Amino acid sequence: MTGYSHRDRCAITGIGATEFSKDSGRSELTLATEAARAALADAGLTVADVDGVVSCDHDLVSYSGIAESLGIPDLTYWGQTGPGGSGPCAMVGQAVAAILSGQATTVLVYRALNGRSGRRFGQGTPDPAARVGGQGGYEEFFAPYGLVTPGQFFALLAQRHMATYGTRHEALAHIAVACREAANRNPAAQMHDRVLTLEECAIARPISLPLRLFDFCLETDGACAVIVTAAERAADSPHPAVLVRAVTQSTGPRVQPGVMYPMLQRPDVTVTPSATAARTLFSRAGLGPSDVDVAQFYDCFTITVLLQLEDFGFCAKGEGGPFAESGALRRGGSLPSNTAGGNMSEGYVHGMNHVLEGVRQLRGTSTSQVEGAEVSLVTSAPPPGTSALLLVKG
Amino acid sequence: MTSVAFTDIVAHPLLPAEHDRDTAGFFAAARRGELVLRFCTACDQVLHLPRQACFACGGNESEWRPVPGRGHLYAWTVVTHQVHPAFAVPYTVVVVDVDGQPDGTRLVGRLAGEPVLTAGQPMRVRFDRAEDGTVVPNWEPGD
Ligand SMILES: [Zn+2]
Repeated sequence: MTGYSHRDRCAITGIGATEFSKDSGRSELTLATEAARAALADAGLTVADVDGVVSCDHDLVSYSGIAESLGIPDLTYWGQTGPGGSGPCAMVGQAVAAILSGQATTVLVYRALNGRSGRRFGQGTPDPAARVGGQGGYEEFFAPYGLVTPGQFFALLAQRHMATYGTRHEALAHIAVACREAANRNPAAQMHDRVLTLEECAIARPISLPLRLFDFCLETDGACAVIVTAAERAADSPHPAVLVRAVTQSTGPRVQPGVMYPMLQRPDVTVTPSATAARTLFSRAGLGPSDVDVAQFYDCFTITVLLQLEDFGFCAKGEGGPFAESGALRRGGSLPSNTAGGNMSEGYVHGMNHVLEGVRQLRGTSTSQVEGAEVSLVTSAPPPGTSALLLVKG
Repeated sequence: MTSVAFTDIVAHPLLPAEHDRDTAGFFAAARRGELVLRFCTACDQVLHLPRQACFACGGNESEWRPVPGRGHLYAWTVVTHQVHPAFAVPYTVVVVDVDGQPDGTRLVGRLAGEPVLTAGQPMRVRFDRAEDGTVVPNWEPGD
């Protein structure tokens, strides 16, 4: 390791969440406040201890909004990153940076959204009466052709992967079912009571082929929060210490501008920035893919998980299909994944729920606990950039 | 360019912004029935999506150059669930590798319905002209 190392120097000492629902009946600010208070109580800390806040660029709740709502006496650091689901692991990374640079001691990281009852994603945002594009977002090369939703974008990646490597839709179904089985064991999951079979995935309503209904994540109202402190302060927490072994963001080469569709101009769309993120993350951690006991992969769509399995080195490029079909992601598999149900079946809190579950696995409190788990991987969405986090037991 | 065939369409659901400083030349050329891409004047690197500065040589001068309206099919999706009121389903979004350019030089098109497509098949440009004169380069199967 050359240069500055953050290895094992910070900890996640508190986690908190609201219930996940289709209609919270309250504002994002109320949800964020509830999750933040829960995380502080979980850490054995109070509002007065908080001096740093990190939020997501898509969040409607600002740093000042949450500070006012909680009654934080003085914030000495606030930061924000994203975009959207690329953010959660990077948000923890920003908290680590704030702490190790002496700008804060106790950082609240949160994500709150009324993703179902409020502003819904994936609905095709352009106004039909207006011209689309300009402003450096390059939408004018995509939206006029009806390419207007993330699902359509990821369908193109899936189709290309299938055409190149012979990947079957059944592989994607295995990912959806692995998430659902975990949700069925998790009473807090939105899909706790709903069983899903491979057959149902295969015949589900087509949305943007080759993707069908159960290849898509949920839409959720809810919030999640975590508390990050220096590692030595984790001893004050009532829970076993969970250390940030390593964190990274990555764009990879030729990231392309904009938020999503321009990534179609990358030389091979089946390779995501997760490939370069993995290299940096494992190098910073002094660990490799075979050291990972349990993983929470960002899952806006099933194909997003499959691409990450390859890019993080759990299998070779092109072999994500057979790897998923082997049952590797399910309980008892070689890489138990999305053990709370993920965005697909627990709730869509933009991947912040993945960070919470990554912590639970090291505390031994997951509803799909991997026995003896010591290294826990959490990822946030590709593209355009991405971020990832390796947690270890203290 | 002698005779350019435009495909007149009654209405185009979403028209592109034509006045962005980095991309306007693409749509201005389309109105003339030309397919152009932006290239670095100094080192000939294609700069797509269009922008002025060159990442390859650090140059700051670039220009629009015509390219043959031919390509090969890179990826597609059949959209069957309507999310945007302007686009009736089913339709097929195609992503086309522009012939003769580096990997990743791609343009998007839209075909009605669910045509039978094959990865790598030849595609050709078509200039869809809206009632107000805006032209959107589109792609369809063909040599
Ligand atoms: Zn150049």
